[in-house]
Amino acid sequence: MGEATLVISAQPDSIVNVQNFHKRYRKQTAVEGVSFAIKKGEIYGLIGPDGAGKSSLMKAISGILTYDSGSVEVFGTLISSEASAESVKGRIGFMPQGLGQNLYGELSVEENIDFFAQLREVSPEQLISRKCKLLAMTRLEKFTDRPMKLLSGGMKQKLGLVCTLIHEPELIILDEPTTGVDPVSRRDFWAILTELLREQNISALVSTAYMDEATRFQQLSLMYEGKVIAAGEPEKIIAKVPGTLVELVAHPQAAALSQLKPIFQQVEAVGAVLRVFAEGQEEETAIKQVKSLLSNQEVSAIHASQPEMEDAFIALLSQANLTDSDTAPAINTHKESEIDASKKDGLAIEAENLCRNFGAFRAVDQVSFQVKQGEIFGLLGANGAGKSTVFKMLTGIMRPTGGEGKVAGQDMLRATQAIKERIGYMSQAFSLYQDMTVLENIRLYARIYAVPRKQLKQRVDWVIETAGLQGVEKRLAGALPMGIRQRLALGCALVHKPKVLFLDEPTSSVDPVGRRRFWDILIQMARVEQVAILVTTHHMSEAEHCDHLALMYAGRIIADATPAQMKVALVEAAGELLEVSTDQPLLALKLIEQAGFDEAALFGKKIHLLAKESQQVRQQIEPLLTASHISLHSISPRPPSLEDVFIHQIMTHENEVE
Amino acid sequence: MSLMARIIEGKRYHWWSRMAAMTGKELLQLGRDTVLVCAVLYLFTLDVMMAGGVKMDLNQGAIVVHDADHSMASRELIYRFQPPYFKMLGEILNEKEGVRLLDHGEALVVLDIPPKFQHDLLQGKPTAVQVQVDASNTILGTLAASYSAQIIGQYGFDAALQRMGLTGESLEAVPMVDDRHRVWYNPNQKDAWFMSISELLTVITVLAMLLPAAAAVREKERGTIEQLLVSPLTPIQILLPKVISMTLVILIGTALCVGLVLYGFFEIPIKGSLPLFFLVTALYTFAMSGLGLFISTISRNLAQAAMLVMMIMMPIILLSGAWTPPEAMPDGIRQAMYFSPLYYYIEMAYDILLKGAGLAVLWDSLLSLSLLGSVVFIFGVWRFKRQFG
Repeated sequence: MGEATLVISAQPDSIVNVQNFHKRYRKQTAVEGVSFAIKKGEIYGLIGPDGAGKSSLMKAISGILTYDSGSVEVFGTLISSEASAESVKGRIGFMPQGLGQNLYGELSVEENIDFFAQLREVSPEQLISRKCKLLAMTRLEKFTDRPMKLLSGGMKQKLGLVCTLIHEPELIILDEPTTGVDPVSRRDFWAILTELLREQNISALVSTAYMDEATRFQQLSLMYEGKVIAAGEPEKIIAKVPGTLVELVAHPQAAALSQLKPIFQQVEAVGAVLRVFAEGQEEETAIKQVKSLLSNQEVSAIHASQPEMEDAFIALLSQANLTDSDTAPAINTHKESEIDASKKDGLAIEAENLCRNFGAFRAVDQVSFQVKQGEIFGLLGANGAGKSTVFKMLTGIMRPTGGEGKVAGQDMLRATQAIKERIGYMSQAFSLYQDMTVLENIRLYARIYAVPRKQLKQRVDWVIETAGLQGVEKRLAGALPMGIRQRLALGCALVHKPKVLFLDEPTSSVDPVGRRRFWDILIQMARVEQVAILVTTHHMSEAEHCDHLALMYAGRIIADATPAQMKVALVEAAGELLEVSTDQPLLALKLIEQAGFDEAALFGKKIHLLAKESQQVRQQIEPLLTASHISLHSISPRPPSLEDVFIHQIMTHENEVE
Repeated sequence: MSLMARIIEGKRYHWWSRMAAMTGKELLQLGRDTVLVCAVLYLFTLDVMMAGGVKMDLNQGAIVVHDADHSMASRELIYRFQPPYFKMLGEILNEKEGVRLLDHGEALVVLDIPPKFQHDLLQGKPTAVQVQVDASNTILGTLAASYSAQIIGQYGFDAALQRMGLTGESLEAVPMVDDRHRVWYNPNQKDAWFMSISELLTVITVLAMLLPAAAAVREKERGTIEQLLVSPLTPIQILLPKVISMTLVILIGTALCVGLVLYGFFEIPIKGSLPLFFLVTALYTFAMSGLGLFISTISRNLAQAAMLVMMIMMPIILLSGAWTPPEAMPDGIRQAMYFSPLYYYIEMAYDILLKGAGLAVLWDSLLSLSLLGSVVFIFGVWRFKRQFG
């Protein structure tokens, strides 16, 4: 303990100080020896997949969970008893995980806020002024009378934030506030949080399962299975794993994958692009090595870039020997060359002018698109954009109001039963039987899909091998980790060798390692078995994997192209993505917004904005910043992400509607 | 043509194969649910045993006496209130004390013997005793009142005969109606026979609704229904296996109960045909599972389903004659009883088990149950199809 006190006194400005924290639930260890400190005015991040121990830590800091050993200090008070926890609770705001989990569905927006204000003993005068300010900031003023349960996911989270802030806490603790929220609402949420930090000088501890949100934090801890893998500034964590990311397009892709896999630990097919992380290598040597390995293939668009948080996370995990060693599904390549051309060109899904009304509300409006055999097609959109209604119509559970279509060669209006026999479907929530074993689940679905009795055993073995389920056959599905469960669900969807696969947000709650393994299987299915795969998602990391994307907004398709084409279109329409680095990012952001860059957003300490004339931007911004005594470090272009594309598209359409 | 026939044959095979797979799945899941298995076992064994242990007799009813006479006659009357029916707590000194004991629930009966009781009897004058009964529990009160009336009546009768000097042999010359009962079907009038069968039928009713409802709601709750709906299964293929497997479970439980508890423990002589009894039970279970499926369409989780089962249970049992015979019901309610499937089932179950009745006697009840059951079942399936079809 002597050491711990020494550390605490060394950081007098920290408002939260956690030392050697341990938490156990019965026999299961949730958190094991975690230490970190949060400084005043900082957004501190806890990043890690499900089961990393983030929630336990946050609850302990909020004073609502006891812990086994170590120390937790909040505002200089050691949280060791109920009394000490009570003494700081008034200065903390805690928002638990789950959309609107702490709110009351039947109460209206305003009633929810009033309730939390009463709970926190906010005086009526203060309540009025704070409510006004917070509602304006979150743009919820128009919805004060609406019951909470009727709000969208993003709005629920914003209301949750308002209720958490109504007593003006100095520290807010937000447990996965952006999980299940679409990119536009996500960026909106971060913008509000940034503004709050700027105006009210509060500190925040935020957890997330998305690696791509890492750049939002000033400091973070990367967690996995109760331990901290790395901590510090995002850039410094990435720098802990030196190396080069090589991106290239190779043909045939599956063969290239199997050639690179034995040499490099991290090889991944993202849509048409192969991402290879050459750990510890300089750019030139990395490119050289990749090229020589693929000497007998068509390689194009090869270039090197910086690794991202996810690459670093996976590398750090394997350095710490934390990746589970269950067998990765083998990639079977010999069949790829045998596929005849006619099969490749066949259309797996044709949707023509699909419409669906719910009463007077039109949920899907004239949606048309085509998916080829062997193509991975992504249907993107926020919650309520109409993705799942399109899915339900194509899978035959819902009749369209208008339009027509063909799925796996069958008419979707007349042959729903035939369609059901020919497609595989995997839902977002794990919807297999948790009280049955892996083998029992696979066998059940094999029999439901009428796999012939003689082939049953062989087919079940094939599923187990393809989905990488060796060794867990006899275990109950409910007892498996998320990643393996999703592979089981995929295996069950593949048991009758469907020609078309429907996946509804397949990897939204899976850790990066599990997600990559999952996509490996999908890539094999698409490239080798020529299965057409339709994926709905609002996760941009899933969207990057698709060969082709359709973006839905308010029931209509507003963009239909490949990811690369979409990025090019963004640059043409809105300009380049510029990253602005300054010494006072919060203040700088405000000035840049006032200068007319509405879409500017803060990522950690850097500001992102879109501009057509990048030279002009410097001339426009620099004098503004110097006038406020902010020094501009750099303005540099960055390749836009699909998230930038998505947000720009949606914003443009929202503005058109208004 | 032969190809066509083969395809049809294949389709039929798939249909049954899918049904078999789904039924097996339901049984497997039920078997994994330890709590549910224990509850079912308990209901079919211990619960029925406990219900059979309930006696409808008056047992150790507390009685106090205010004896203002203190004579031989009064002592003899008091002496006739014997265990096991009554338990004499003792004498009280005034009537107020008697009322107090009734108020506090310490005494069930207060017997009040007036002064000059013996004197009047010996003089041949009519005399009266007062009996106060606590009837807040109607059944106990009625029993206590009627038992006391019997005892006092018999005492009066004996006293009258004695006064007339009629005892022993000379008694045979007196014109008297000798009331000789012949009790059929339950010769010793054991309450256990009636009560245990009645409880078994109630258990079957609850489980026939709750088990399929729970199985269907669980699929909704956990989202597994979604995966089934996009599969080639028809709503019937999703539903029927639940009903079939749960009926099977209930039949096994019933067999266990009839064999171990009714026959083994209470030694009820099973008079009728057991296959007929199980057939009727299967039919009844099917009918009630229709209600269970209906419940599953309107409830979102298991708790709601269980609440609704309780809600529907009550009128069905009240209107069935399980607790009160139809003869005791007022007119409108008596007609309503014809719509309770349990009414027919109870009638048939008692008739088969105790009276040994066969189809010749029961055909009309069986027909009514089949009709009512079909309507209820089709309604349940229709609701389910409309929600998920």
